[in-house]
Amino acid sequence: MKPDSHPGEPPRETDLLRPRDPETGDPLPSTAQPGYYPGYRTLSQQTFWDAATRRKVLARVEHPPVIRFFTPEEVTLMTAMADHLLPQRDRAKHRRIPIVPWIDERLFLRRTPGYRFEDMPPDEEAYRLGFAAIEGMATESHGRAFLDLSWAEQDKLLKSIHDGHPMPGAEKVWRAMPHHRFWALLLQDCIEAYYAHPWAWDEIGFGGPAYPRAYFRLENGEPEPWEKDERRYKWDAPAAAVSDPDEPEIATHRHLAPHGQGGTH
Amino acid sequence: MQRIDFPMRRRPVGEEVDYVIVGVGSAGGVLLQRLARAGFRVLGFEAGPFWDTERDWVSDEAGSHQLYWEDLRITGGTDPLALGANNSGKGVGGGSVHWAAFTPRFHPSDFEVYTRDGVGADWPISYWDLKPYYELLEREMPVAGPAYFPWGDPHGYPFGPHPMGGVGNMLIAGCTKLGIGVSAGGPVAILSGSRADRPHCIYRGYCIQGCKVGAKASTLITHVPDALAHGAEIRDRCMVARIHHDRKTNRVTGVSYIDRDGREHFQRAKAVIVSGYAIETPRLLLNSACDGYAGGLANSSGVVGKYLMAQAGSVILGRFETLIRMYKAPPAHALTEEFYETDPKRDFARGFAVQTVGPLPIAFGKQMMAARGAWGWGLRRIMMDYNHWSALGLLGEILPWADNRVTLAQEKDQFGLPVAHVTFNLHDNDRKLIRFGTKRVEEIMHAAGAQEVVQEARYAHLVGAARMGSDPATSVVDGFGRTHDIANLFICDGSILPTQGSANPGLTIQALAARTADYLISQGRTIFTSDRRDPTAPPIRHDLSPPDTFKGGVPRYSGASAT
Repeated sequence: MKPDSHPGEPPRETDLLRPRDPETGDPLPSTAQPGYYPGYRTLSQQTFWDAATRRKVLARVEHPPVIRFFTPEEVTLMTAMADHLLPQRDRAKHRRIPIVPWIDERLFLRRTPGYRFEDMPPDEEAYRLGFAAIEGMATESHGRAFLDLSWAEQDKLLKSIHDGHPMPGAEKVWRAMPHHRFWALLLQDCIEAYYAHPWAWDEIGFGGPAYPRAYFRLENGEPEPWEKDERRYKWDAPAAAVSDPDEPEIATHRHLAPHGQGGTH
Repeated sequence: MQRIDFPMRRRPVGEEVDYVIVGVGSAGGVLLQRLARAGFRVLGFEAGPFWDTERDWVSDEAGSHQLYWEDLRITGGTDPLALGANNSGKGVGGGSVHWAAFTPRFHPSDFEVYTRDGVGADWPISYWDLKPYYELLEREMPVAGPAYFPWGDPHGYPFGPHPMGGVGNMLIAGCTKLGIGVSAGGPVAILSGSRADRPHCIYRGYCIQGCKVGAKASTLITHVPDALAHGAEIRDRCMVARIHHDRKTNRVTGVSYIDRDGREHFQRAKAVIVSGYAIETPRLLLNSACDGYAGGLANSSGVVGKYLMAQAGSVILGRFETLIRMYKAPPAHALTEEFYETDPKRDFARGFAVQTVGPLPIAFGKQMMAARGAWGWGLRRIMMDYNHWSALGLLGEILPWADNRVTLAQEKDQFGLPVAHVTFNLHDNDRKLIRFGTKRVEEIMHAAGAQEVVQEARYAHLVGAARMGSDPATSVVDGFGRTHDIANLFICDGSILPTQGSANPGLTIQALAARTADYLISQGRTIFTSDRRDPTAPPIRHDLSPPDTFKGGVPRYSGASAT
């Protein structure tokens, strides 16, 4: 793995925010491609994809949408939140996957997933209410804006929404919008942006588009000739993070778990 | 690639036709094809586009949202249903474009749930009325599956079963260890060998993003081309706003629709068939309230919108030490119906099926959010293990309840029409069934060797909300889909199902459409001129199948097919 240099970033802060080697506790270097499939590139197979798919996926990589819905302040806040919901500090800076532009585009186009919960405002309002809630919680708990909190303080604040017990300071917002629905909205939008990207497919070993060429090794998890075998390594979440379920103090909150919203069968 | 470039007849806007069909999906596509072949002037309206599959569809999870009904709907109740990509199609082919294409038949017991178990409702028709149409549609799609399918009324499938993927192998391993029978390689409406101009499956796993290959059956490729070749017209990107009713004659006269440029037109028709599926069908009837039907057209019973059903569709996910790579193979390729029927030893009525599913990365990420509370670095870590996870779907029968319903919301859509408000509440029997079924699937996963098993609550499919029945006081349509209230207004889609069994509804919806078409054809022009209701079942019209539908090749098991 090639270390990534971060000129201008204070080393200690970077160290705390990067995944660690479990043996030594040292931060792992940022890489162009984290995950257990080194050398696997879905984009290298693009000549075998149909034209419409190639156009769609390449446009996603090369031309993320411009911001049209969020204000500049909201972009900064949302970018900071996305750094917790789907952190990418293990990725080299030039290989981080844009998330906020895709959320912005959906809200600008007022694209819904085809429904809205009866206890929720429209998504555009939900985001703005959510931002107000996060600032309210930061102010009440720390006397500072969310962006002025340390990364660890920010992570704990967001985790309190995840856990279903938000820190005080936003009770009024949560009366207008259930916090577990806001959490699901936020995280689902981040998941849709990150795992739509071919770099994320490389990271998790997903085969990606396969038309008109077929898959033919369907059994036993065997790779196609152009796929790679898994090469696992061990890593710990960054020292400052509280979002890894392998950490014993993190409990899931099943009573608030949203119902599945994807189509599978 | 499957080419669909038939020249289409275009009639002048407003010129009277015999039949207007609202919604060209699973049912609408079959109706359009049958009625056109029989010589009727037939016009289909579709709110979404007429797809050019090579140009419009992609092998991409995030890039396929236009296949789903994404116009606003409000969802609520104690257990709100996710809509959109979860269960609602838009565009010619409708739900059959994005279904995973599992095509099990309903069991004979499904048609008499009330008689047998004292819950739900009986159908006005029996399994044996529908059986010839199951056989017919299984050949028209056609369905791939085993030569012997042991549950319900045992039967075999015309096309050979598909090879196993990692998820199917896991289901077989788990079930075998527990002594549970499995159907491997189908039944699924995906070609295991090429037929006519349709290629066989390439196992790329993007079934629910629309089958660009043309191997998966959708009415867009199985029935619509033949409909157009026989003079049917489809007006795509046209939203039907209301059905017009003449109070003096108590007959419908046509529909108002808004075309792709936002202009409103009136289309005259001798009869109207609503095929908008379980939300848009009741919404259109409610939005068509008029003098004489103040509570919604054809709603003198008050049942329109009520008894909406979704199946328990919890996804159970297991992590395995070995690699699975569940993105390969069609998500739908193996199942068991061992738990389908009511078992007096359990504390609930009816049962469930267990089926393979194959979530792609975005769907899997959301499942991990719901099932495991994953976020942040924990989410990144689980996602890196995507290829180690395998997923099974519970498909459980939720009973029809009057409080699960579609009503009109205050809010309006882009056409100024009130949107649907969907309310869904689980009842005691449903909860017990889901608890029991989920536990069984978890046991199968563990028996197959999973180290960790989690589950996400979910609901699959949508049926009911304009149910059929013998009693006009408690149902909306009769056994042929004719509304009890208005003799030339029909409903034909999933919304007419009184109960839903534990089988995916697509095949049953298409079989019902073929049967309704045979009825309409057998009645000829009487439908257009008379209010007389002839209860005679029509003869089955094998001669109306699309070309290249074979007649033989289906294994038959006479032993169990008693009438």
